[in-house]
This record gives sequence, C-alpha cells and structure tokens, in this order.
Amino acid sequence: MTDAAIQIDQELDARNLNCPLPILRAKKTLNKMASGEVVKIIATDPGAVKDFESFASQTGNELLSSSEEGEEFHFLMKKA
Amino acid sequence: MELEHYQKIALYGFLGAMVFGAIASRTQFCTMGAVSDWVNMGSKTRMRVWFLVIAVAMVGTQIMHLTGMIDLRQSIYLSTNFTWIGHILGGFLFGIGMTIGSGCGQRTLVRIGGGNLKSLVLAIVLAITAYMTLRGLFALLRLEINGASTVDLEANGFESQGIPHMLSNLTGISATAVAIIITTIIATAAFTLAFRDKELRSSFDNWLAGIGLGVLIVGAWYVTGVLGFDDFDPLQLEAASFIAPVGNTLSFLMTYTGATINFGIAVVLGMIAGALVYSVITRTFRWESFNDRSDLVNHLYGGVLMGFGGVLSLGCTIGQGVSGFSTLALGAPISLISIIAGAAFTMKMQYYLYDEEGWMHALKSTLADLKPGKSG
Repeated sequence: MTDAAIQIDQELDARNLNCPLPILRAKKTLNKMASGEVVKIIATDPGAVKDFESFASQTGNELLSSSEEGEEFHFLMKKA
Repeated sequence: MELEHYQKIALYGFLGAMVFGAIASRTQFCTMGAVSDWVNMGSKTRMRVWFLVIAVAMVGTQIMHLTGMIDLRQSIYLSTNFTWIGHILGGFLFGIGMTIGSGCGQRTLVRIGGGNLKSLVLAIVLAITAYMTLRGLFALLRLEINGASTVDLEANGFESQGIPHMLSNLTGISATAVAIIITTIIATAAFTLAFRDKELRSSFDNWLAGIGLGVLIVGAWYVTGVLGFDDFDPLQLEAASFIAPVGNTLSFLMTYTGATINFGIAVVLGMIAGALVYSVITRTFRWESFNDRSDLVNHLYGGVLMGFGGVLSLGCTIGQGVSGFSTLALGAPISLISIIAGAAFTMKMQYYLYDEEGWMHALKSTLADLKPGKSG
C-alpha cells in the first residue's frame, strides 16, 4: 500500500523536535482523533523510527508505514 | 614505550568504554528513553533493561567486595557524609535536564560519536557547569545546599552509607548477610521481570545491553580496584560515571601539558570513540546540528541542569543509577528515584504545555497525573 492510497486525516509536524517530543505530540494528536483515522507524522530525529515502532506495538495504534525521505522520517499511524 | 601504572589503568578504561559505547549505540540503550517509554507509552521494557544492568553490576560488584577483592568504602558512593538534599534536588534537576537535553550523560557521549553536534555542544556546557559545580562559582551553591543538610553518619555510629552496614547496625544481622539478601532479591526480581517481558525476552539487543553493560561496570570496578591497586601509586576506586568526569575531561584537554589522564577521563573519551567506530562501521554515522534557536536553548538548559544536578547528586543515571547502586549506597536509590521523578515530571509538563493553556494548567494536570497510585 502506498502512502498516496491512504486517506490522511491529520498531519503532525514533528520536525526539529528531539526525543521524547515527537512521541508526546503524536500521543496528544491521536487522543483527539476518532478510531480508524490516520495521522501523518513528519520527524527529523533518527530515534523516532524505533520509538514509533514501540509506540505502535505498545498502544495498539497501527503503524501503516515508516519511511526515510531525505533528511526526514515519515510515519503513517492509524488510531486503534 | 612502557606505560606508567596510571596510564595502563586509563587505557583499560578507554578500551572497556569503547565496548560500552558500541553496545549502547547498537542497542540504543537510553535511560531517558526508558522513562519516556514508561511515562508516555506505558512500556516498561527499556526500564527493565536498565534494571537488568543494575542487577548484573550489583551481583559482580558485591561478589568482589564481599570476597575482599575490592573495598567499596574507598569509592565516593559510600561516604559517611550523607548529602540527602543533594541527592534529591540534584537528581530531580538532572532528570529535568536530561529530558529537555534529549538524553543522559551516557547517551550524550554516544550521540557525539554518532555525529550529533547538538550533543557535542551540550557536553561542553555540561562539562563547564560540572566543573563550576565541583570547583568554581557553583561550588559555593553546592556547599551551601549540602552544608545545611549533610548528615554525618560516622557520628551516628555508622561506618558508611552502605545499606547493608546501616541495616546491620539497626538489626544486628551481619552486613555480609544483608548484602547477600539484598543482592539476591534485586537480581531475582530483575531476571524474573526480564523473562516475563515478551519484548525484552525475545530481543538479543536487550540482553546484550542488560548483561553486557552490567558486566562492563563490574569490569570498571575490577580495573580501578584490583588492577589499579598499588600502595605506592594509589588511584581512585571508581566505575563509570558521566558528569564530573566529563568536566574533568574538558579540563584535561585544556591543560594537557600539565595534566595527567585518569580512569574517568579515559572512559569519557572511550565512550565517544566506541560510538564513533560503531557508527562508521555500520554506516549509521550522521551529522546532526541545531534546527532552530529553541533547539539550541533546550540543549544549553539541559547541559547546565545535568552538569549542576549531576555533581550535586554525585552522579547520573549511570554514575549513581548503576555504579553507585552496585555499591548498595543509600544515596544511589534516592538519586535514581529523584532523576526518574524529574524526567517524568518534565515529560508530563511538555505534554500538557502542548495544549497552549499556560504553565499553571500544565502544572495542575501534571501533578494530577503523577499522584501516587495513578499511572499513564
């Protein structure tokens, strides 16, 4: 499934934020979303890759994709 | 060229720290991350890895101490001057600092090796602040804080702040028996929690960090306490710590022609070197720099709070949290709990500040979240 085929309901700009802020902001954003909605998160902290994998497995929110694009890391997460 | 005794000890420290830096890089061992996973995700896996490091370090260190190979009373952790406010306040400030600075002392050094220039700036600020707190302007503040609150344990009949000795004095049970009981309970708890945690149990990296880093702390005590033992050239008994030694490293580099290297300095340099070699070999080396002014400001605040708080509490998440803990010093768990509390408090504040409803709203919500008995 490509990112383009997924409807994105929210976008979170976590660029220039260091651990643990990308996770904190994602948690906050997801709290305000309805079940099944998708948030696109853009981060620049390399640690975010592993953090979002753990976050997904721990919270039950589905990590639809995780990719590196230039200096940025893009994540698509679907709220459980 | 024949190395002097102290140079050999420093070399062993450097090489051991290189392994530490490489393992920490590979496994992404991060004590601030451990608190973050717990507070922000409800995952205790990284916390359990840290607990495993503590338990492994404690078992090896206590075996060496109880068999007479080393005398831990020679380390700073078992001092009879019990600076309890320093442990609590310093630990709390350190916890705040490592959260806004994005990692503890250990993680900062590892990040420098991986190409992170933000961590380099933080480490320089941390080093200056730590040195100022040891010997400079902030030392006045440190002495003022500790002077009013230091408890002289010796005057109260205790020979050290070792929990076994204190409990022995109070109960009459031998200190050796108490040390064995505490170490056995902690080790059993740590391994039980590790085996019960599916994510920890199934990951080689988690075991590598938990056992590998713990063994390296034991190795550090062995190097400074056994190999380093010399009546004619006495060296400080120490293990790994990443605050005061970072200050000493900066001082050493600035006064190189008139300075001598020691174990702590070699460990700091070894950590960076190990992480650098690892990141180059695995092609994960990546230059990182400040993104904006707030990024710089956060790292400056982080460095100051970690440098001051770390010296005040006599150590960081590794210095007190693992090395100090392995000596069973009373100050270690107090520092460790204070560091975790400071970090958790800061993370909750950051979470609620994102609402943009002001500091008071964030503080109230944070305190409500951190009430004993409430989790998540």
